[in-house]
Amino acid sequence: MNKKRSLMFTLVRGTAAILIALLVATVLIFISAEGATFGAKIAQTGSALRQLLIGPAFRNNGTVSVKNLTDVLAAMIPIIFTGLATCVMFSANQFNLGAEGGIMLGAFVSALVAVYFPLPGALLPIAAVLLGGISVGIMMLIPAVLKAKLGVSEMVNSLMLNYAVMYFIKYLLNTHLADKTKGQIMTYEFQPNAAIPQLVDNGSKLSWGFVVALVAVVLCSLFMYRTRWGYATRMIGINQQFSKYSGMNVAGIIILSQVLGGLLAGFGGGIEMLGRYTSFNWSALPGYGWTGITVAILAGNNPIYVPLAAFFISYLNKGCSLMSTYSGVPSQLIDILQAVIFLFFAAKQFLARYRQRLVVKSTEEELKLAAAAAAAEEGGAK
Amino acid sequence: MLKLFLTPDFFFSILRISAPILFATLGAVVGEKAGVSNIGLEGTMMVAALFGSLSTYWSGSWVVGLLVALIFGVLVSMLMGFFAFNLKTDIILTGVAVNMIGSGGTLFLVKVITNITEGKPLASTTSLITKKLQIPAVEIPLIKDIPILGDILSGHCLLTYVAFILVFVTWVLLYKTPLGLNIRSVGENPNAASSVGVSVLRIKYIAIGFSGLMAGFGGAFMSMYYAMGWSLDMVAGRGFIALAAQAMGAGEPFGSMLAVLVFGFAQAAGIKISSVGIDSNLVSPIPYVVTILGLVIFALVVRRRVKRQHSSAALKATE
Repeated sequence: MNKKRSLMFTLVRGTAAILIALLVATVLIFISAEGATFGAKIAQTGSALRQLLIGPAFRNNGTVSVKNLTDVLAAMIPIIFTGLATCVMFSANQFNLGAEGGIMLGAFVSALVAVYFPLPGALLPIAAVLLGGISVGIMMLIPAVLKAKLGVSEMVNSLMLNYAVMYFIKYLLNTHLADKTKGQIMTYEFQPNAAIPQLVDNGSKLSWGFVVALVAVVLCSLFMYRTRWGYATRMIGINQQFSKYSGMNVAGIIILSQVLGGLLAGFGGGIEMLGRYTSFNWSALPGYGWTGITVAILAGNNPIYVPLAAFFISYLNKGCSLMSTYSGVPSQLIDILQAVIFLFFAAKQFLARYRQRLVVKSTEEELKLAAAAAAAEEGGAK
Repeated sequence: MLKLFLTPDFFFSILRISAPILFATLGAVVGEKAGVSNIGLEGTMMVAALFGSLSTYWSGSWVVGLLVALIFGVLVSMLMGFFAFNLKTDIILTGVAVNMIGSGGTLFLVKVITNITEGKPLASTTSLITKKLQIPAVEIPLIKDIPILGDILSGHCLLTYVAFILVFVTWVLLYKTPLGLNIRSVGENPNAASSVGVSVLRIKYIAIGFSGLMAGFGGAFMSMYYAMGWSLDMVAGRGFIALAAQAMGAGEPFGSMLAVLVFGFAQAAGIKISSVGIDSNLVSPIPYVVTILGLVIFALVVRRRVKRQHSSAALKATE
């Protein structure tokens, strides 16, 4: 199939998946809409859908809402990082689901550095984020080495690690590190110079972390498509046996991909923490790791598409929360929406018949062209 | 310290804590035998727990609630099967999606279905399941009179007994029935199975349906007995631990049951320890850490066994 048709198929398939998800959303919104009569319910559904789809970009009077848009962009920061982490790990066929615990650990370590390390100026946030990332990289060594050396499932181990890390952080926070003067369980305030400066100062918390995230996207793409290790990572994902027999260091790459995923998740946690908060008070896993998996699937495990996918998810998320404020439809609709889009995007056989038809059409055209060329050549020979 | 543990009450709690994980583990065992890694057990349990508790409340009978929980368990797993087998979505990703629905999606549903939670950020149905609607506990006639053993083994929830009986049933299903043979052959070599006329698709559906049924039991146990109501993320990783128990038990029903009991022991010990004033956040991760250690030990043992077999085979070859 030629490139143009292939692109068209990808677009049609993506649009179809999104439309199906929106259809499901519409049905669910209709069911949960308040209203005595059928007509009232329809009207409610309409206004809820409007909030969901248009709300994040435009105000009710039709003008562009800058605040909502910067909210959307700010919410992209952590999920770009977990999305990249998932891309790298899934590309090597390593189903490591530890980005969830990873981002929490990264945020926590960065917060500790921001509270306790007496570093001057911009050195403090940089050191905090770096240490956050490195600590998660080290954490990921556990599932990675166990997988590479002993063949223990990295999926189960990383899931267990998420919980172990969460409780460990809660323990440290509750007993040793909490600021006892506060009503809530939280660390002491960060030193003022730890905060990552804001890009737009309107309360959206859109920090320079966004730029760092985009830089990470570029670096990640370069790594995956322009370096030997990136090539080896993708090859192992496609065919591990082949990679092994062609002399690649499979165990090394398995470890590398997961540690790299850990680093990325940790950086994301640190940047989110220092860009948005002034003290650490997370009491549960934040959910960014799972959203990161959705982002990676939507991006087809290609880092360069991660920002697009993250924007989409973060836009829908904002839409859902606006919808719940203005029309009483619970904002958790986002989880169902995400799951449906995710399932259809990841489904290899979804619209397979349509794809088949496109392939047949392309081939027929190519054959016809070849036949015409052959006929012309024959004509020329005579 | 020892006095704290050597009580019938402690051993009773091990069995009680193990039961829901055991259900999910059996689901994981059968799924894995057919080559289906069901990581959606967690979410399936959440959905089953929600609808089980709601229909118990509406019908006023735990029997109806249990049946509804089982039906929803199977329905969710069939949906997973449709995406995984028919639309060729990666089974692990399908599981991740089901877990998303199990987490935020169930909260959405509970808010929409019951308006009792209007306005509150967190919702639960814990007020709906009263003592009367709970799945009943059962006293076993003869055993309950034996001094210590009676205190440990008798008086459990009906489903706790079902869980341990199902271990045996699962073993029979896998090793003594034609269906079990088909399940195992599909897991080991689907092409070979299909070449002798086994419908791989049908067997995979049966296997994932069975694991959904088990998740339904587990969910019902959680919301209709253990926690007496549904609340957000109440399954708390039990579906994931089940996968670990399956791996630790080498995918065999009885081995996995032992792994579950180790896990139950760790958690029961954690509860005991925290009752003497140690922060519960320090003991809560014990089960998860034990699981990781267990997997490592298991992998090491398997490795040594394989090595020994290889070397003995090599010796024989040179003789």
